[in-house]
Amino acid sequence: MTLSAYLPTWPLSISPALWLALALVIAVLVGEGLVRYLRLPRIVGYVGIGLLLGPAGLNLIPELPAAEWRLLVDLALGILLFELGSKVNLRWLKANPWIAGTSLLEAAATFFAVFGLLLWFDVAHVTAAVVATIAIATSPAIVVRTVTESRARGQVTERLLLMTALNCIYAIICHKLAVAFMHGEAGTGLIHTVLQPLYLIGGSALLGWLFGIAFNSIHRHLGRHEETFSFLLFGMIAIATIVASTLKLSPMLILLAAGLIVRYQRQRPRAFLPHFGSAGAVLVVLMFTANGLAANLDGLRDSMLLVLLLILVRTIAKLLPVLMLAKYSGISLQQALALGIALVPMSSLTLLLTLDTAAAFPAFASGLGLVLMSCIVILELAGPILVQMALRGAGETLEEKT
Amino acid sequence: MSLMPFASSRPLSIGVELELQLLNCNDYDLISSAPDMLRRIARQTHHGEIKPEMTRSMIEINTSVQHEYAALVEELHSLRNTVADAGRFLNIAVAGGGTHPFQHWSEQKIFDAPRFHYLSDLYGYLAKQFTIFGQHVHIGCPGPDEALHLLHMLSRYVPHFIALSASSPFVQGHDTGFASARLNSVFSFPLSGRAPFVLHWEDFERFFSKMTGTGVVESMKDFYWDIRPKPEFGTIEVRVCDTPLTVEIAAAIACYIQAMARYIMVERPGEPQEDDYLVYTFNRFQACRFGLEGVFIDPRTHERRSLREDIADMLLRIADHAAELQAGEAMAQIREILATGNGASWLRQTYAHEHNLSDVVQQQAKLWMNG
Repeated sequence: MTLSAYLPTWPLSISPALWLALALVIAVLVGEGLVRYLRLPRIVGYVGIGLLLGPAGLNLIPELPAAEWRLLVDLALGILLFELGSKVNLRWLKANPWIAGTSLLEAAATFFAVFGLLLWFDVAHVTAAVVATIAIATSPAIVVRTVTESRARGQVTERLLLMTALNCIYAIICHKLAVAFMHGEAGTGLIHTVLQPLYLIGGSALLGWLFGIAFNSIHRHLGRHEETFSFLLFGMIAIATIVASTLKLSPMLILLAAGLIVRYQRQRPRAFLPHFGSAGAVLVVLMFTANGLAANLDGLRDSMLLVLLLILVRTIAKLLPVLMLAKYSGISLQQALALGIALVPMSSLTLLLTLDTAAAFPAFASGLGLVLMSCIVILELAGPILVQMALRGAGETLEEKT
Repeated sequence: MSLMPFASSRPLSIGVELELQLLNCNDYDLISSAPDMLRRIARQTHHGEIKPEMTRSMIEINTSVQHEYAALVEELHSLRNTVADAGRFLNIAVAGGGTHPFQHWSEQKIFDAPRFHYLSDLYGYLAKQFTIFGQHVHIGCPGPDEALHLLHMLSRYVPHFIALSASSPFVQGHDTGFASARLNSVFSFPLSGRAPFVLHWEDFERFFSKMTGTGVVESMKDFYWDIRPKPEFGTIEVRVCDTPLTVEIAAAIACYIQAMARYIMVERPGEPQEDDYLVYTFNRFQACRFGLEGVFIDPRTHERRSLREDIADMLLRIADHAAELQAGEAMAQIREILATGNGASWLRQTYAHEHNLSDVVQQQAKLWMNG
């Protein structure tokens, strides 16, 4: 027998998962430090450590392989989108149509402001439209996570959740339409320009509806035992995500729609565990760290002005409509200010839309895609702080004193 | 500060104040949305008054001065609709009931007004535990001595009012076994209990100035008595009732008290005596603990009977007065409570059916908002 039979051979071959696990441990410790000493949200630590240790920072930890990263983000974002949907009461829109109006105006203003800015920077119409649709979405991940962490409740919190769910739906659908036009411009026939988004929207809605129905009937029978139920839900979200990718539908749209349908159909209140239990919570933390590792700041180096202007213009476009309609929709100006600011974060959902576009159009990947990636990094770090500040300012948080 | 003179008011006029719970529509826990509700309501014209209360998850509705059941219930309906509409607009549910079944008192936020902050500093956690919801009924009195006479005569029947309105069996997630657990929170205040046994206003004024002299109290508001005189309105205020689950029951209980007051003022069935209070806390405890099934000991005859029997007996005795006050419908409501049970039994039945306190509160809110 030789030494090499039971000792590892040098150099050690290390699985990329170890690096992620290591980053996770550090990120969680830093997150706790941020909460304890600076009263900042934990997510800033999760993303920040990924950014600092990853390729965009000190380059101590390699990026996750694309396929694994994608699986992780799909699952974690799926949980968060489903959670978001299940917290939102669509019937409220009927009782208070001003909220629906605010939401539509906010989304339209964001689209046209960003579209206008990009045209001014001589970006082609179609490309500008694609970026503008992506900019509509508020980060569901940051919003849900920060609301959960600060145990916020009240008018601003509820409107933030509702308007985030709505603008994510607008963003996903409009993005598909814009991309379809981009395809049309690249020479594909008109029939595909029309059929593809139709298939996507119809198919996703149908699957979301089936998922919601299945969820409600399983919950009726198993809901008493929260833990068993969490495991089951977790499996269902994985199935929905994988089926959606197989059928080339949008997993994000499906899970958001499923959450909304679950809440809409069941007249009874039901509070789920945050992220449906600790397994979900771990995935969510991993996702933020992995996002930090995947951060790309090249856009900031090459076109810093555009990145900063895009963030500024988008922020104003979200804030103004909320302020303008505050009085009619029943909140004070101070609450409207908080709500408008809390709508600013960008994260995983925007990132996935950007990457999907980049995969189809190489020119986008090396151009505006990079600009968007830089915006995401900035708004993923600043976003949780903004949401927390806004909810605190509105007096809706209930944080333990540590 | 001396006590203000006792204003004159039309005898037997009534006014009702109801403290209501504000709930979020996801898990039906309390939500600190009183400022949002009040801002929304301020944009509309409405009857009566709608005001903030100690913590931000409470709101209070007050009727104007009323004289009989029909008009009282109509005004309460209109107040309820104003509040319920504002609630729907803001995705907030509103409910009756004396306690919220599973709220955490420590999570309540004090409403931003000087008096509430003062009380919060003075009473500490008691102020937040005071997130309980009561019905107060004002009865107009022709003069101050008549008010004190009525106050001490009505004290005998305080257990009636408690048992009929009782709707707070659940506290902090558990069934307390009480029909009205809300009053246990009131009893922990140092100045709660009953008014001193004085029958002349000069004596009451002397008592009041001695109390202010000690520095313990500043105004009548600092007394948390079961029934207290309200000199600026010229009324006495019965404060022991839980907020019932519907405005109809609230109006019926107010008119039951009104009819009883008329019986006392017109028939003068005996004079109040200090010894009437020997059984007072025992009877009151029985009403809180067991509701209509509680034991009632008559202070004069020492006879024991159930509260249900004593109320049924009282209904017969005041029937003519109720008829005179056009309160037939209200008395029918009271009889129905005797037959089918109070709010506490409705809440327990709903819980037995739903197995979940969130669902119970949702049903409770639906009952209150839709009538």
